[in-house]
Amino acid sequence: MGTVVVIDLYTGGEPATAEEYRHLAQARAILHRADAVFSTWKPDSPVSRLRRGEIELGEAPPEVREVLELCAAARDASHGWFDPWAIPGGVDPTGYVKGWAAQRALDALLTSRVTGALVNAAGDIACHGSPVPGAPWRIGVADPASPGRLAAVVDVAGAIATSGTYERGAHLFDPRAGAPASRVASATVTGPELGLADALATALAVGGADALELVESLDSYEAFTIGKDGARTATARFPFAAGTGAGSPGVA
Amino acid sequence: MRRTPIVLAATAAGLAGVLGFHTKPAHISFGVSSGTATGAAATGGSSPASTSGASAGTSSKAATPTTTAPAHASPPASAGASGTRTATGVVVNYNYGLMSVKVTASGKKITHVSIAMLDDGGNSLSQSIDQQSIPLLEQQALQAQSGNIQGVSGASYTSAGFAQSLQSALSKLGLK
Repeated sequence: MGTVVVIDLYTGGEPATAEEYRHLAQARAILHRADAVFSTWKPDSPVSRLRRGEIELGEAPPEVREVLELCAAARDASHGWFDPWAIPGGVDPTGYVKGWAAQRALDALLTSRVTGALVNAAGDIACHGSPVPGAPWRIGVADPASPGRLAAVVDVAGAIATSGTYERGAHLFDPRAGAPASRVASATVTGPELGLADALATALAVGGADALELVESLDSYEAFTIGKDGARTATARFPFAAGTGAGSPGVA
Repeated sequence: MRRTPIVLAATAAGLAGVLGFHTKPAHISFGVSSGTATGAAATGGSSPASTSGASAGTSSKAATPTTTAPAHASPPASAGASGTRTATGVVVNYNYGLMSVKVTASGKKITHVSIAMLDDGGNSLSQSIDQQSIPLLEQQALQAQSGNIQGVSGASYTSAGFAQSLQSALSKLGLK
């Protein structure tokens, strides 16, 4: 549905070579393949057919099972706030797939010349290395109340994902209320792996402050939410960049 | 330090691959086409066919429509020199106003996606920006404000309106 993916490769001042372009082509193929297999906008994709009951899981490509197993783990980790099986129309792993595919695309880019790499899949971002030696990746978080403004800047070492009411799609389904819902305007999660960060951000967008405390208990994952009233809440070690005016985040 | 941003665009019914190579970060200048320095970022060895996006980006600067709102007419595909074709998709509502997407193709390969028309609720902006699309427009506008950030998480990239206009342009080019 019109996802634009931007890939930035840093090669430490050296020109990119044919090897980088080959890896880029691999990364691109990974993204296209994920779209072909998982897109619920494509009526004939394996996941669409699975959702309609036309095929069984064993007849789908193996990565479908892999992703659904990861979704089950994310459902457990999020205490059910992220639940692809609660979505009407059949299991929908969309809230995990974008980050999962982008993370795999990043992993395919890493040649010996690459000193830094960043894959930005419509705001879900996976990073490797650094943009300049010794510097962290600095990623802005869009302000849901003010288009064109940032709510915060974050030092990112691995991955960052944001979910919010301005996103469209069934993945903001509240499994506990039985109807589409969102308790926050924006939820951002950082951590080592983008697929799980993506799922946790989706869980937080639905569960809000109730879900924040369970992210607090997850090693290596941190979260930051902005309520519809503008209230900001973050886990204790959420990596706001120094002096970037993150507002006054409360600590869960 | 060189960076090589590459843009991929995926649509609902098919995939539009756009590769843009920059030798320095692209910038947005509202009202004029951006002075993106496209050039061969690769040296030595053979580049994959998709790097034709680099030179196509330069040549596409010749076409800078200044469609002002409300230009609801959506022109058919047109053919230019050296087999390049362009088409503009239907005007759609995106998050903050009206827009239409222009696609340039060489043969079956999409070389360029840009904004043909943008109307932000009465603050009409007529522009064609090389090798950009609305998500990148938002991304880079946000990045330009803050300086020294390498990305933005959470902007409204997945605009159904953008995808719809893009798809319309692709259909006109016979690229599904």
